Amino acid sequence: MTFHLGYGTNGFANHRLDDALAVIADLGYTAVALTLDLHHLDPFADDVAAQTKRVAARLSELGLRSVVETGARFLLDPYRKHHPTLVSESQEVRVDFLVRSLKIAADLGSDCVSFWSGIGTSWDRLKAGVSAVLDSEPPVPLGLEPEPGMLVERLEDALRLRSELGEPEALRITLDVGHCVAVEPVDAAACIRRAGDLLVNVQLDDMLPGVHEHLEFGEGHLDLPATLSALTDIGYTGVAAVELPRHSHAAPDVARRSFTALRTASWVAAAEREVRADPASLERLFAGAGRVDRAREDDLRVRLLEAYPGDLAGTLTTLYRHGSSAERRAVLRALGPVGARVPEVGVELVKDALRTNETGLVAAALGPFARDHLDQHSWRHGVLKCLFMGVPLDVVAGLAARTDEELLRMVAAFADEREAAGRAVPDDALALLRKAV
Amino acid sequence: MRIFDPHIHMTSRTTDDYEAMHAAGVRAVVEPAFWLGQPRTSVGSFVDYFDSLVGWERFRAAQYGIAHHCTIALNPKEANDPRCVEVLDVLPRYLVKDGVVAVGEVGYDSMTPEEDDVFARQLELALLHELPVLVHTPHRDKKAGTQRTLDVVRESGVPVGMVVVDHLNETTIKAVADSGCWMGFSIYPDTKMDEDRMVALLKEYGTDRVLVNSAADWGRSDPLKTHKTGLAMLAAGFDESDVDKVLWRNPVEFYGQSGRLLLDVEEVGAVHAGTGNSVLRGER
Repeated sequence: MTFHLGYGTNGFANHRLDDALAVIADLGYTAVALTLDLHHLDPFADDVAAQTKRVAARLSELGLRSVVETGARFLLDPYRKHHPTLVSESQEVRVDFLVRSLKIAADLGSDCVSFWSGIGTSWDRLKAGVSAVLDSEPPVPLGLEPEPGMLVERLEDALRLRSELGEPEALRITLDVGHCVAVEPVDAAACIRRAGDLLVNVQLDDMLPGVHEHLEFGEGHLDLPATLSALTDIGYTGVAAVELPRHSHAAPDVARRSFTALRTASWVAAAEREVRADPASLERLFAGAGRVDRAREDDLRVRLLEAYPGDLAGTLTTLYRHGSSAERRAVLRALGPVGARVPEVGVELVKDALRTNETGLVAAALGPFARDHLDQHSWRHGVLKCLFMGVPLDVVAGLAARTDEELLRMVAAFADEREAAGRAVPDDALALLRKAV
Repeated sequence: MRIFDPHIHMTSRTTDDYEAMHAAGVRAVVEPAFWLGQPRTSVGSFVDYFDSLVGWERFRAAQYGIAHHCTIALNPKEANDPRCVEVLDVLPRYLVKDGVVAVGEVGYDSMTPEEDDVFARQLELALLHELPVLVHTPHRDKKAGTQRTLDVVRESGVPVGMVVVDHLNETTIKAVADSGCWMGFSIYPDTKMDEDRMVALLKEYGTDRVLVNSAADWGRSDPLKTHKTGLAMLAAGFDESDVDKVLWRNPVEFYGQSGRLLLDVEEVGAVHAGTGNSVLRGER
């Protein structure tokens, strides 16, 4: 990784700044996105110069690289969030704040001051405001962040503003990759490539399309490994900091989970590269994936198989035949995305898994690939085996669509047998029989 | 009392044993690859055995809330059969897997040149894969075998802290203690060590670098010997922390050097054998 993973202090709003920085560094981050705020290095405090000096020393002591963020909610107006902005009538208040931020950033040795446009329509006023900040001292790079709902909402808006201002060297781009999922026409990786050398600051979070809500990694649609890969591809060397401003109530836990997700995604990004460049590396990476992140080991292995450019049929067979239970399970899960390319091999492996007595393998075998490719007789026996083993039937893809009279007969006979023995009949079996009536 | 049995052959044990072990506090085990009583005649037989150590047996243990790990190697007795030696070529495939926490059992049975060769080659594999080594010491001529083991380890370049020399007793403990290797003791109903002799050695040598195991297998043995040794320690005046160190923290420290321990077994846990309408843990 060429860049520095960080965490935003706006996600530590209930911590003292010193404590927040210590926790962030302790978790393994090497950077911080510092949101200037009432209790986090208030730029309007009388002793701001002395405070800045102290924070600079703290950053250096903890080995944290920094960017300055200016998205504080009620710093300028106690009644109206984020007010005034560069598109407001009282724009000069915002300009003054940004210029103060430049001074603090210079004293901290930060990479940039990041800012957004504001909600409104006055493009010309925005240009004038940005020009005023650009003309101020000290000359710290400015990162304009496209923000959903604001005048500069998408990356293209930011690039247009920059172009209209004559492409000033100091005006760069801050990109929130979650915003890309929410409002951009292309994915975050494509936005990163589009921004390229202009990128001076990156904010990391997940999001759902069309919804501007900052989510933890894995809760939205962001492809985190592909995003980190794109940053590596463009040679980005700055700060990429987690941006979860609504998670302060559980900040240390969220920051720890986020770091694990980032570490895993970095591994995936590097492993996918390696597999594409050297297909023979697959076996080693595939075997070791569980050590990287036990909670996500199946996903990791499936991604490696999706990236694998070599002979898929032979490789799936080898990895399955030589695999531990977890490796076999991942091969079976990978049949969902890649099995249609090698249906005969896929069916063989599914049938093998259905002969085992391992619940995890039986469950993984009955996914979407089996729904689409397994013959009806084998499929029925797979479903029945689930009932026997106590595997819930929600693991069976296409259960409703493929259920037929013969399966219902088998399930009814199974229920009779259980009842005759005085044993409980699984709820899933009863539900299936009920639906059929 | 939480117990990590660092050497037990669960393949030979029943589900009653798993239940009793869990009830006694056993939450993790290491199953070393070894001979099976009946000699093997082909590589395929090893492969099926190794597959069960990273597959079925781990699943079986998880059903009883026990984290199962294994060590992989060609054992010294079968190192003498040319039909078995080719298994060395398939070992690397297993030595990269999760839950494979050491190369073992390696070492000597009859101290033949064949055993020398296979032992040395497997120490090289351990170095290459950065794995600890579990060394079996011979039943016959144990003292000479232990001394030769220590010499071979020293020459191999494997750090002594990465090696446990197992099945020790009063006559072999000192040489291993002095070497810097870890000391393994198998507590048996008749042979090897018993609980009280073990406690006496712990009093004399302390609790550092000591692993106590039941080594239970297909012979007369008792999978609860770890627990019984813990009770004997308490009766002899050791405190609970001493017992925890010997029966849990020491094996975690030794095998933890592999980076491959899977101690979160609750996560991969069990099937609900009853109604079948419960969640299937470990499935996503």
